[in-house]
Amino acid sequence: MPDYGHDLLFGTFVTPSVSPAHHAVDLAVTADRAGLDLVTFQDHPYQPRFHDTWTLLSYVASRTERIHLSGNVLSLPLRQPAVLARSAASLDLLSGGRVELGLGAGAFWDAIDAMGGRRLSPAQAVAALEEAIAIMRQLWAADRPGGVHVKGDYYTADGAKRGPAPAHDIGIWVGAYKPRMLALTGRAADGWLPSLPYLPGGPSDLADLNARIDEAATSAGRSPSDVRRLLNLNGRFSDTSTSLLNGPPDQWAEELAGLTLEHGITGFVLATDDEYATELFASEVAPATRELVAAERRG
Amino acid sequence: MHYGHALTFGTFLTPSARDPGQVVSLATRAEELGFDLVTIQDHPYQPAHLDAWTLLTWLAGRTRRVTLAPGVLNLPLRAPAVLAGAAASLDRLSGGRLALALGAGAFWKAIGAMGGRTLSPGESVAALSEAIDLIRARWDVTGEGPVRLHGEHYHVDGAARGPAPAHDVPLWLGAAKPRMLRLLGEKADGWVVTHQLLRPGQLAQGNRRIDEAAVAAGRDPREIRRLLNVSGDFLGGPGEKWVEELLPLVVDDGVGTFILMTDDAETLERFAGEVAPALREAVERELPGAFRRPLRRAAVRARRREGIAYDDLPETLADTTIEPGDVGYAEVRSTYLRGGAPGLVLRPGTEEEVAEALAFARAHPHLPLSLRSGGHGISGRSTNDGGIVLDVSRLDSIDVVDPARRRVHIGPGARWMDVAAALAPHGLALTSGDYGGVGVGGLATAGGLGFLARKHGLTIDHLRAVRMVLADGSVVRASDHENPDLFWAVRGAGANFGIVTSFEFEADEVGDVGWAQLVFDASDTAGLLHRWGAAQEAAPRDVTSFLLVSPPRRGRPPMAHLMAMVDTADPETILDRLRPLAEIGPLYDQSVVLTSYASVMANASPDAHDGRGEPVTRSAFAEHITPEFAADAERLIRGGAVYFFQIRSVGGAVADVPPDATAYAHRSANFSVTTFGVDRRRVDAAWDRLAEHVDGLYLSFETDTRPERLADAFPPATLRRLRELKAAYDPDNVFRDNFNITPSTTKEPTHA
Ligand SMILES: Cc1cc2nc3c(=O)[nH]c(=O)nc-3n(C[C@H](O)[C@H](O)[C@H](O)COP(=O)(O)OP(=O)(O)OC[C@H]3O[C@@H](n4cnc5c(N)ncnc54)[C@H](O)[C@@H]3O)c2cc1C
Repeated sequence: MPDYGHDLLFGTFVTPSVSPAHHAVDLAVTADRAGLDLVTFQDHPYQPRFHDTWTLLSYVASRTERIHLSGNVLSLPLRQPAVLARSAASLDLLSGGRVELGLGAGAFWDAIDAMGGRRLSPAQAVAALEEAIAIMRQLWAADRPGGVHVKGDYYTADGAKRGPAPAHDIGIWVGAYKPRMLALTGRAADGWLPSLPYLPGGPSDLADLNARIDEAATSAGRSPSDVRRLLNLNGRFSDTSTSLLNGPPDQWAEELAGLTLEHGITGFVLATDDEYATELFASEVAPATRELVAAERRG
Repeated sequence: MHYGHALTFGTFLTPSARDPGQVVSLATRAEELGFDLVTIQDHPYQPAHLDAWTLLTWLAGRTRRVTLAPGVLNLPLRAPAVLAGAAASLDRLSGGRLALALGAGAFWKAIGAMGGRTLSPGESVAALSEAIDLIRARWDVTGEGPVRLHGEHYHVDGAARGPAPAHDVPLWLGAAKPRMLRLLGEKADGWVVTHQLLRPGQLAQGNRRIDEAAVAAGRDPREIRRLLNVSGDFLGGPGEKWVEELLPLVVDDGVGTFILMTDDAETLERFAGEVAPALREAVERELPGAFRRPLRRAAVRARRREGIAYDDLPETLADTTIEPGDVGYAEVRSTYLRGGAPGLVLRPGTEEEVAEALAFARAHPHLPLSLRSGGHGISGRSTNDGGIVLDVSRLDSIDVVDPARRRVHIGPGARWMDVAAALAPHGLALTSGDYGGVGVGGLATAGGLGFLARKHGLTIDHLRAVRMVLADGSVVRASDHENPDLFWAVRGAGANFGIVTSFEFEADEVGDVGWAQLVFDASDTAGLLHRWGAAQEAAPRDVTSFLLVSPPRRGRPPMAHLMAMVDTADPETILDRLRPLAEIGPLYDQSVVLTSYASVMANASPDAHDGRGEPVTRSAFAEHITPEFAADAERLIRGGAVYFFQIRSVGGAVADVPPDATAYAHRSANFSVTTFGVDRRRVDAAWDRLAEHVDGLYLSFETDTRPERLADAFPPATLRRLRELKAAYDPDNVFRDNFNITPSTTKEPTHA
């Protein structure tokens, strides 16, 4: 059933390798020049082989022109929500509205704990994420009266000043698979950002997961289309078609258009550190997919 | 009273969120005006401000030269372990331009409203002290074990170390009260203080407190830079008046940096034009020659090795040189195959700096000296223990100066994969080796046995000239016409004669190539070797292949891995050429692609080297792979002394060059044989048994240091000539880290 009707976004998921220092920057610049909509980076502050993702995003933003940027996803337990909200608004202002906020409730708790972060159970982490989202939304709503007031079990803001307002409505995108997180996504997020390789049943798992989000959105008085559905992908370009996203670009386009029309996915984020694949994704897959979807939507 | 820091100037900008473009343009304007530093105040609870860290990082992408620092960063709202990583990232992304200025916190009510923890002043100083330890520990990638700190305020238990920043990021503190000043003297690298907020005499008093604490902690007060925020109001009146007011602060109070607090472009311009240069001059007049480069921290100096005059390093090299206590040390101490612990790694960035670095190294004749380009030396001991490494990897330019004549100029620090990638768009390639990570400097001074050898010869056969720094510090060009003797010697024994700073090559036109990887069952090892040798010798020149045989392991038979390049884009020819090679034994696996030379070469990781121990290798040349040789080779492979055995085909165009035309003399050989093992004595004993089948050796693959090896590397006439030239060009034997040719004893007059 669902095609939530959003326009399509195409992006990459680039390894934030710390060495060579500009590896990820160069790939992001390639994606920007190639005309992709989005470049994203994973965030593991405890991983010494990776850049600090917020710093990398800020730097990449200053070296690119049109592309939007997001963590994929930021590790909330090691980032103070009010500071993060203000940082995101700042980068959004500096970049002319190119920041989206991919957020995760946290994973690798041993590593988080070793860094001095707080260890939470899965249920606690979901609750903490919801509190953080509330703080961030209040802080961005600069024209509302009064300060930010959220009295949570995990995060509290008690009269922090609001602002600055970001340059555009920053999308809060959440990586979610389990019922509690899916419900939170439907209630509170602007986007859903799972990874195809983590879906044990492949794309067909999407139907069920979407339905849970839709349900949660509806019961929170929102519309299911308030939540954009994005998907992290792995794939390989090759001359002959062997399996899902393993074949020539036109095969990809058909498969991605299928994901849009059947499962409402309108953000395709390709995990790649390869310039050639990045360019091919932008120059061949994206336009062909858009065309197929547009034709189908025209009916 | 001064601390010897060269005078620098900075700005202090308001990160106003209302017009983000304004603070960005002020920062870039400051850089254009010659300011050394841009600082951004940080008040994360202030909605009218942009987040300072985000803005600083943005500015890193928009500036090229200035140092960037928060002024100062509000610690209570930032987790120190995460901050350490963020700082390392920013320092790396900006090319080493971060100074991390920290504050213990202020405006506690606002911090609390943000969800931060409110601390008493005493607690906040203690927390800052813990944070400094944590940050330094995460940066110290050479430290033992993971980071642990069970503090009152921060609890970190087992966090990984790293990433290290690109340079020794100075930690500055904003401080005014005694407790903070004491902490600063104990642990920090700079004092940031605002002039307006000081009572008369407070600067001197603060300095005293810092200095006392520094000395008590075993430090030298000169390690600590004093930075003063000064504001436009204070600096009323004409430029001379400003100079007059600022001069005593330098001369009497040891201020090393003035940070101008203004958001007004005109004030910045006036300051840069009228005040900064005049103040520098006035200071030089008052305290001539007093300003040198800042001292490295006591903790860094404590890791210095004996016998190196660290403090005599010329100014030009100081910034890029790495010593054992420096953050970058872990990435430069070792090479690809060798662990090392040098006392100093000099990293000159220009030819003049190479000469300076060499002069500095020569002032330490008692210490080992290693020369390094790409760090893939096997025979070349490009690291050492306690000595000096002269690393020219920053000379890595690749210029196609004349595509029509196929002329390219390449710096020694370039890696062959980058060379291949840069030449490919011009339809050109230079034969190199089989691994893209290898540096140009080491390979192009020794030979260069690569995948295009039979068609196009050795890498050195494409060399038309070199520029080099000789032992006496002179810079010369050598070619067939200029210093022809030297040019002869460089092509095969270059490491003994000087430091090549630029190679001038004539590349070949190379289009797409056939690239095959075949895996064989090598149970019949000898038969396979012999059949391959025969097939390869019979093959036309456009095919060059390397055969790697691995010993049997855990019930698995020996395996052979063949890599072959066919220099043609015609698929039929490629398959024709490969067919005889594919028939040498039972095939396990095969892959054949039409691809570019550059993509075959793009096979190395960009990671820093972290070799351990010493490679144990042997090398030899062979004319043919006779059945007898093949049988003895099988015995070696199965004997357990070696884990890697490779034969490469050479011959073809390599043999077109007469043996006396270059110092690389083994032109007639069809094969180069190499082995790696673990135990020196076992490998040597096993290898020496091949002696009757082989002749000579390729020095780049040989690590045996017994004196006979020199005679294997160079035939008598070649060696005689090399010795004479060595006496002329390097009579003191400065260059000795790679197949050292001792000068002939009859000293000749040095070259003109
Ligand atoms: C994985 C691997 C694969 C290899 N494959 C091949 C191959 O296919 N074909 C081949 O021919 N060789 C090959 N080699 C050998 C390689 O060419 C030599 O080890 C070479 O010295 C490495 O050059 P480098 O600049 O990377 O090494 P470095 O370690 O930087 O230098 C090695 C030595 O070269 C000398 N040297 C370095 N720079 C200069 C300079 N600017 N001027 C003068 N002398 C200098 C010094 O004596 C130094 O000790 C390989 C080595 C490795 C480790």
